[in-house]
Amino acid sequence: MILLLAVLAGLLAGLVRAWAGGRSLSSPSLRLVWLAVLAFIPQWAAFYLPATRPWITDDWAAFFLVSSQALLLVFAWFNRRQAGFALLGLGLALNLLVILLNGGLMPISPETVGHLATSVPPPLWQVGSRLGSGKDIVLTVATTRLVWLSDRFVLPDWFPYRVAFSVGDILIAGGAGWLLWTLGRDVTKEPKVKKGSANKCILTFHGMEKN
Amino acid sequence: MKDSIRKLGLVARQVDERQIKLALALLGLILFVLGAGAPGDLGSG
Repeated sequence: MILLLAVLAGLLAGLVRAWAGGRSLSSPSLRLVWLAVLAFIPQWAAFYLPATRPWITDDWAAFFLVSSQALLLVFAWFNRRQAGFALLGLGLALNLLVILLNGGLMPISPETVGHLATSVPPPLWQVGSRLGSGKDIVLTVATTRLVWLSDRFVLPDWFPYRVAFSVGDILIAGGAGWLLWTLGRDVTKEPKVKKGSANKCILTFHGMEKN
Repeated sequence: MKDSIRKLGLVARQVDERQIKLALALLGLILFVLGAGAPGDLGSG
């Protein structure tokens, strides 16, 4: 939800930028989009789809999360030259690292959970178990590996939506915002032929001459 | 006249292709963001 808001804000910024320049949004050439779709399916079943998520055990949820994020890392690598994907990939790598080191789910401390749910009594969540049907597992700070990469940041109290997020999540939101912002740029001012490809043409021409 | 219609068809096709490309890219980005992020709340994942 919070990350979708970041995408929406980035898209809005890109649209305003394009509109201000009298253009329409440019379209990035993302590679292997099918891989992102494929990678998301297990997470969709485990965390998002109400019909399936109660049936998926915590162990399977952890397996789905790790394997799905590993595939998304491949997707990020193939698109690393796109604007924002360095940040997106780094954010994902940090999330995946802390998830792997803590048993396959994103750690969150009892203190942070307490901040999220002031009205929900502790018996509804326990240390060592998954938080609801989400991607988090409640772990004490002392037992969490790389605690600074866990879900430890929260929004200000005046914000109506209570959510905890990680350093990786911040980078992902920033990367998505950056990519969407660049879609509003003026692509006609960019050089169409890259330096490398021009040299390649000349080399090919010389090669033909020799033959 | 025939030439104009052909040009119009080409432009329409280019616009369609660009829009499809943009929609696919946005779909990929949204799924990536949802899958890569792991914010914690008491609602859904």
